[in-house]
Amino acid sequence: MAETSEAKASASAPGGDAGGEEEKRDERMLECNICLDTARDAVVSMCGHLFCWPCLHQWLETRPSRQVCPVCKAAISREKVIPLYGRGNTKQEDPRNKVPPRPAGQRTEPESNSGFPGFGFGEGFHMSFGIGAFPFGVFTSTFNFGDPRPSAAPRGTAQYEEEQFLSKIFLWVAILFVLWLIFA
Amino acid sequence: MANIAAKRIKREFKEVMKSEEVAGGDIKLELVNDCWTELQGEIAGPPDTPYEGGTFLLEIKVPETYPFNPPKIRFMTKIWHPNVSSATGAICLDILKDQWAAALTLRTVLLSIQALLSAAEPNDPQDAVVAKQYRENPQLFNMTARHWTNIYAGGPTSVWEFNQKVQRLLDMGIDEHQARVALSTYDWELERATEQLFC
Repeated sequence: MAETSEAKASASAPGGDAGGEEEKRDERMLECNICLDTARDAVVSMCGHLFCWPCLHQWLETRPSRQVCPVCKAAISREKVIPLYGRGNTKQEDPRNKVPPRPAGQRTEPESNSGFPGFGFGEGFHMSFGIGAFPFGVFTSTFNFGDPRPSAAPRGTAQYEEEQFLSKIFLWVAILFVLWLIFA
Repeated sequence: MANIAAKRIKREFKEVMKSEEVAGGDIKLELVNDCWTELQGEIAGPPDTPYEGGTFLLEIKVPETYPFNPPKIRFMTKIWHPNVSSATGAICLDILKDQWAAALTLRTVLLSIQALLSAAEPNDPQDAVVAKQYRENPQLFNMTARHWTNIYAGGPTSVWEFNQKVQRLLDMGIDEHQARVALSTYDWELERATEQLFC
């Protein structure tokens, strides 16, 4: 792995020391703070410091009880580094068997606003159902459409399933109650 | 030696050579062997300290796990300092132990050691005897440190009184360094030093 990066380095700056000063300065900006080489499988810490993931991983492994940024000693952890994906470097070329692949980037779905504010059984629909002093309390049941409320949990998560389940139950309870009121 | 250690040392070595501190004569770095595992550092005694004008050599051993573990560094030049063992040259400095960080380099470490010479930490001593003198008799500590700098590190200030006392013990057939350690330990009281040496 070292050979490949060395080859890359010497290719970009022929003769090692030779090469434009400016080009060198640019490269230094992207040097890993641990191996001092151009960062491979780059990750950046929350405090903004750049590392190769294999280097940072080894640093975190070396002292599991005191995980700090090697540069500024801020708290750091495996979960709190962000991988950097450059263009044209999407495939993981050197699978280091000892080092786990760097943590994946976290993608959160943007909040979807449906085109019909206040209508539809989609995610904008919200029904609340209350029982007050009978019979007046019956009318406190309200149907709220399009009111601002906490965004729904993303599809596919456990919370989403739960919310769907609960809303179905309440819907059926409401229907039964209305039927009982009518026929009783 | 692990590839990453050797590669990094090579890189650091090049950078140190180009640094301002080397140009200014504050620090120096030399290779001891070809496999980049051992180097020799040199730092100038900082101005306005008893170490001013002295040149201090450091032994630097690079472990295979560098830079994930700190380099092993000790003074080869004898020095009278609360955080350096007057016998072995071992250094008590947090960044060489648990406060090491992988982004530190030989250059920053040498500069930290130089800074330690201007700001001793007597409450976290390596050499208890020196630290005690530093706290209880700072003036004598200063003289002693200056004397050691003069003798071992080529410092400019020769302390005539101390030289005379060492000479007295030398005349009694005692090893020069041993005599100096005993005198420094017993606040340059000739009688107590002699007593300790002959008991």
